[in-house]
Amino acid sequence: MQKTLYITSNGRLRRKDNTLYFETETEKRSIDIENIEQIHIFGEVDLNTKALNYISQYGIILHFYNYYGFYAGSFMPRKKNVSGDVVVRQALHYLDREKRIFLAYCFVESAVYHMMRNLRERKEAEAFLNAIEDEWENGRFNISSISELMGLEGRVRNIYYSSFNQFLPEDFYMEKREKRPPTNPINALISFGNSLIYSTVLTEIYHTQLDPSISFLHEPSEKRFSLSLDISEIFKPLVVDSVIFKLLNNRQITLEHFDEDLNYCYLNQEGRRIFINELRNKLETTVRHRQLNRNVSYKGYIRLECYKLIKHFIGDQVYSPLKAWW
Amino acid sequence: MFVIVTYDVNEKRVNKVRKILKKYLTWVQNSVFEGEITYGKLEKCKRELFSVIEKDEDSVYFYEHSCNERK
Repeated sequence: MQKTLYITSNGRLRRKDNTLYFETETEKRSIDIENIEQIHIFGEVDLNTKALNYISQYGIILHFYNYYGFYAGSFMPRKKNVSGDVVVRQALHYLDREKRIFLAYCFVESAVYHMMRNLRERKEAEAFLNAIEDEWENGRFNISSISELMGLEGRVRNIYYSSFNQFLPEDFYMEKREKRPPTNPINALISFGNSLIYSTVLTEIYHTQLDPSISFLHEPSEKRFSLSLDISEIFKPLVVDSVIFKLLNNRQITLEHFDEDLNYCYLNQEGRRIFINELRNKLETTVRHRQLNRNVSYKGYIRLECYKLIKHFIGDQVYSPLKAWW
Repeated sequence: MFVIVTYDVNEKRVNKVRKILKKYLTWVQNSVFEGEITYGKLEKCKRELFSVIEKDEDSVYFYEHSCNERK
């Protein structure tokens, strides 16, 4: 299992002794470069081309986040797995309206399934669960365009988020979901978690033949690698939300882990550390896969989604999105 | 799998061995490394080490720690 490295402190990444060192003012640490798959950088980190060249030899992806913890961009080494054939077929599925709606529907279906799964165990959220079910069952069979699907998804998501107030600590009351910038702690947590999952999915896509910019639910023109937005939909409720619930309900993250300013709110360094740690544990948790008959981590399931998409594109097996059965 | 590696190598080569191990594992103490590693990576690491050490003078020990698979 390739590891993910998260750097939250300030320092310098450098190549030395044929491996990578992370140096801060007080300590110097060597990194076992052979086992690293991706590095998320939150602190102020210096690095030079010598380090970048070495990193790219190992196919390691660097993800950068700005001061507020928002995703800034990635350094991706030259792609080793390229297949024009897969990309062309992927594009064909975008161009064909029916085929595109099918895939977009799959992503939303799985997302809704996981949202309902999150609420199912909670007594307090029963009314909301029923409301989501009604909305979804009524809407899902009359979808004729992507925008209608997006609208339905938005409505479901609104109900879902409003149910949070029922079972999360009172400190974390949320009027509504707000992004850019998040104005209260819970929104800050959701945004931070989503940007982490987004780049994790991007890393997994990178290791397959898929083209991250051709997407189905989101418009490919959305300025980002939108395929990873599509796939993230599946894992946002499954991974990020359950991490948030756990951290808040166990009071591992409290209001003191947030810096609040006039109009916005974000996690401070300590809060980020706690969150990242829990997310890392979650992504490394394994569940037995029924067909493969071996244990697969949550991160592994992200990769498997990519493989399933490739199989769908080349006409091998029709895509069916992940629905957590455990 | 989780391994612990210790070595006793002639001073002339000790740095070479250390530098190789650093790529794969985390340093814990002088002459001791540990960490999570895959089977394939470990073989690759061993091969690199064998090209450096003198078999009749140096020794490298690999201990595999087999804990039950984490949940």
